[in-house]
Amino acid sequence: MSVVIMIFLLVCGAVLQAIVPTGPAMGQVRLPVLLGLVIYYSLLKPRKTALNAALLAGLLQDALSMIPLGFSSFCFILTAWIINSWREEVFTRHWLTHMLLGLAAVPANLLVMFVLLTQARVLVLPWSGLLLKLWGSIVTGAIFVPLVCRAAETLEVKLGMLEARES
Amino acid sequence: MRDRKFILLLTLASILLVLLNLPAPVSRKVESSVREGISPLQQAVSGFGARIKEALIALRGLGGLARENRELSSEMVRLQNETRLLRSLAAENSELRKQLGFAQRNVNEYIPCEVTGRDVSGWWQTIRLSKGVGDRVGENRAVISAEGLVGKTIDVSVHTADVLLISDPACKVSAKISRTGAFGIVTGRGVSPRGRAVCRMEFINKNISVLPGDEVFTSGLGGVFPQGLLIGYVEKVYTDRDGLYQSAEIEPKADLGMVSYVFVESRGDPVDEFMRARRQEGGEGR
Repeated sequence: MSVVIMIFLLVCGAVLQAIVPTGPAMGQVRLPVLLGLVIYYSLLKPRKTALNAALLAGLLQDALSMIPLGFSSFCFILTAWIINSWREEVFTRHWLTHMLLGLAAVPANLLVMFVLLTQARVLVLPWSGLLLKLWGSIVTGAIFVPLVCRAAETLEVKLGMLEARES
Repeated sequence: MRDRKFILLLTLASILLVLLNLPAPVSRKVESSVREGISPLQQAVSGFGARIKEALIALRGLGGLARENRELSSEMVRLQNETRLLRSLAAENSELRKQLGFAQRNVNEYIPCEVTGRDVSGWWQTIRLSKGVGDRVGENRAVISAEGLVGKTIDVSVHTADVLLISDPACKVSAKISRTGAFGIVTGRGVSPRGRAVCRMEFINKNISVLPGDEVFTSGLGGVFPQGLLIGYVEKVYTDRDGLYQSAEIEPKADLGMVSYVFVESRGDPVDEFMRARRQEGGEGR
């Protein structure tokens, strides 16, 4: 059941990421829905589930864009591994944790992906464009990762797969 | 515990290595299968969004319907007159060409497509269309909207096609300025902070006068874009740093950020027909 929910969330996330338009002032970065879900799974689930989610999210992102297959999976797995290793040290269900992780992970992923894509010679992007994207990724990461985590958490609580938060 | 962690790490590393080193046809097939699988959901969601947008526009425009109707009626009369004139000119042109022994120009067919999504990664300026090889949409075909050139198809699967917009730095179009006939290459420059798509026309002969407001059309050279498609208008002209050529900032006529319906050129080449039949028979993605 949890695998089905994970696939459902990731597919919906990919569709949402592909459809919702982004502002030019944010460097045209997409809403980090898939990365938000990877962060959610890394914080709240065992390592194996988190890494599976990262692999699948990466596959979806690569298949729906011009990114060579495996690049996004690599970035997402790295993110999931690091966050999952530190999850005992943080408040896993607190919005501030989600916001700080979004603030750090989204721009970090963007930079790693930029290096990979330029090394593979599949991307032409001026430095000004990268800086604008970096700014956009910081803002969208801080705002949307907590929202994505909250939405996924609410769904799992409603389905009885996660205990409701203590008020 | 440590062993399990090691095995997990090893398995993941192996999967990643395999993914990164998949042969191009296999990797394309995997990507295509995922795209085809998600396509119906994507179409449903974008269709729902489009309907809401249309309803909002209709609600907003209720007050001005009578005025809009009057304006459209007069526009229709004007266009009907223009069409009549153009028909007679086309007939005359055709007759003259025949007399001069020129080959008749191919009238291309255009396939209407709905835009179902944009690049999910945000790195490229691309859009996804609701039609693919199964609907006679081929790779490297010009994509236009009612206003002008939008881009070209790059990745085509059975029911979807990805379009590289003219605002992407990887898209290059051989172009001509209509007033003077000066040639150049139009390259995408992304999107300005104000949200406008930006293009630049490079390698224009420095001795030919180029003025702001000049119309820029496709030249037909290069084999992808047919001749005479409107790209946009010259905004600013300047000489290159080395002084050998002129460059011009171009404002694309088509609204690339808001486009929701486009037309893909279909040449009906025998090779295209053969590839389409083969792909449909084999159920192959691209």
